[in-house]
Amino acid sequence: MKTITNLLKSALAAGVMAVATLGVSNPVQADELDAIKESGVMRIAMSGAYPPFSFVNEQNEVVGFDPAIGAEISKRLGVEVEIVTTAWDGIIGGLLANKYDAIVGSMSITDERKKVVDFVGPYYRMSRGIFVKQGSDVADLAGLKGRKIGVTLGETHEQWAQEQEGWDVRTYKGLPELLLELDNGRIDAIVTDDIPVLLAIRENVNAITQLDTSGLAGIADQAGIAIRKGNPELHKAMQAALDAMQEDGTYLTIAEEWVGGDIR
Amino acid sequence: MGLDFAVVPEYLDRLLLGSAWTIGITLAAAALSFFGGILFAVIALYAPAVIRWPFKTFAWLFMGTPLLLQLFLIYFGLIQIGIDLPAVVAGIIGLGLHFAVYNSDIIQAGIRAVDKGQYEAGRTLGLSQAQTIRKIIVPQAVRAVVPPIGNNMIALLKDSALVSVIGVTELTLSSQLAISKTFRPFEFYLAAAACYYVINLALEAGLHRIERRIQVAR
Amino acid sequence: MDFDLILRVFPYFLQAAVVTIELSVYSTAFGLICGALGTYARLSRHKLLRAVGTAYVSVIRGTPALIQLFILYFGGPQIGIQLDAFEAGVIGLGVNIGAYMTETMRGAIVAVDKGQTEAARTLGLSRSQAMRKVVLPQAARLMIRPLGVNINAQIKGTALVAAISVVELTYTAQRYIGSTYKPFEMFLLAGALYMVIIYVVGLGITFLDGKVALR
Repeated sequence: MKTITNLLKSALAAGVMAVATLGVSNPVQADELDAIKESGVMRIAMSGAYPPFSFVNEQNEVVGFDPAIGAEISKRLGVEVEIVTTAWDGIIGGLLANKYDAIVGSMSITDERKKVVDFVGPYYRMSRGIFVKQGSDVADLAGLKGRKIGVTLGETHEQWAQEQEGWDVRTYKGLPELLLELDNGRIDAIVTDDIPVLLAIRENVNAITQLDTSGLAGIADQAGIAIRKGNPELHKAMQAALDAMQEDGTYLTIAEEWVGGDIR
Repeated sequence: MGLDFAVVPEYLDRLLLGSAWTIGITLAAAALSFFGGILFAVIALYAPAVIRWPFKTFAWLFMGTPLLLQLFLIYFGLIQIGIDLPAVVAGIIGLGLHFAVYNSDIIQAGIRAVDKGQYEAGRTLGLSQAQTIRKIIVPQAVRAVVPPIGNNMIALLKDSALVSVIGVTELTLSSQLAISKTFRPFEFYLAAAACYYVINLALEAGLHRIERRIQVAR
Repeated sequence: MDFDLILRVFPYFLQAAVVTIELSVYSTAFGLICGALGTYARLSRHKLLRAVGTAYVSVIRGTPALIQLFILYFGGPQIGIQLDAFEAGVIGLGVNIGAYMTETMRGAIVAVDKGQTEAARTLGLSRSQAMRKVVLPQAARLMIRPLGVNINAQIKGTALVAAISVVELTYTAQRYIGSTYKPFEMFLLAGALYMVIIYVVGLGITFLDGKVALR
């Protein structure tokens, strides 16, 4: 619960804002591992709209594979975990802006992202899937020409879809909206990681089918945990925690609980 | 991470295209809110109770909830009951109806201010009720309330940023697209703010001219 | 319509409504401070201060509140401002509504100013005394209703902070949609709670307005 202290903090921050234009430079910081341990909390971010990897249950708690992995890593670093949900298209911006310490949010590791953040992991393997509504007249990739294709803004699949010739690409804020819109018939196909959609199909949430895209090369991706650059100690500690939980079986337990199998 | 405005020019064409969409959406929604506002005002004052009360409830709902929520409901909610609107149309309708309700309030006050005497005079001259309202009362009322309606249109311009959340690639979403590629929020949001400010100045100047013309006409 | 689901999630929407109320209260308080400072600047005899006040009102009212929030929250750290989402929401919304409140307050003061100040000055009061003892008490009464309109707008404006991930009513609805796929129900529930908040605040303002008008 927010209190008067927050209000005072806000007022103080406003003062800071007033002088910030005079030019304040960030002091050079030591490795953030120390700062995290000192505060006793690691803040991890995810979209919260990506079941079963991260979603909100009926008790309004953020749960899923990603929060479980993040919590386990925090536990092994000896700190508490704090989960932040934020829109996917601003999630790296938020990390760079120090809104949280890591993104444990099913983010695929790409060269472009590596230019701005470091990755711990990979912690699971994902591949691109293209899905259409059951009974759709689209039978293969070629059939997608001139159709409306839904993607999540800021995902690797968005850029890939934009590069395809003749696709009418629509951007959305997350997978739930994509599934809603596919179901509505506003879009003809969606491009996304396949596991969450395959699970949704298995649970009969949506009447959709996957297009056979076996002809596509290089569509497998790896999910990593993003942290700010310049933190070798934090990277090392998180990687060690991740490796250890994979060895002692904790990882597998988590994967089986949320995804129903090993996804390495 | 400091500031680097050199990244902005590469995306300038997209920001300008986004600005064009923002202007288009604003003008369309402003027109809807203006004529909708007149219609709502007439309904609220003259329609039989059976029409008036459902309408008043509707207006009350629109005034009591956030525009953001209304846009979500119109775009993602209505399709659940079979009403499929493209995002741009949903955005224009949402903005237009929201401000029509506010304009209606202003126009009602304007109508009340001219109503007395004029109404009876119109009827005495042999005009029907509808004719009196349409030809005598509404034109005078609207003229009197142009400045506050203009303020609503300026508010509408700024609230058009909200349609970015339902996926309309106007100015705000255009800058977000650029940010998702460059990870430079400050530069692009500032650039977007500058674009809005310029559009806002142009809109204010336009409204000012209309106001002056109406004053001359009176 | 899934009423069962609505009933199950209702307690969590109530919690979110509390966050919306907190945001409204703090940002309105902050906005009143900004509005008072803005009014002071706008009515000042110092040219520079007047220019600052005018620029504040013009820039803030000339750009969308959503963009202002984004600049503060996402862009702020680039220039050394580090705020969490709630703080950014309170400050961003407060600075925004403050510009509108500046115009409301200034309008009310200007409305009583003419003649009254001169009369007070003739009676031997200083400029600041005239303002404090004659103009402001009258202006304060004129302000309540229009400030109420500002506050009403502010409550609805708090929905914007969903975009910077404060878990208030609108973002709560959005998050639930992510797992329930029931947009209609979730938005209706959130909308109903906004109505209740706005209705109660509206009653309060009418009561306050009635009180001062009677004097």
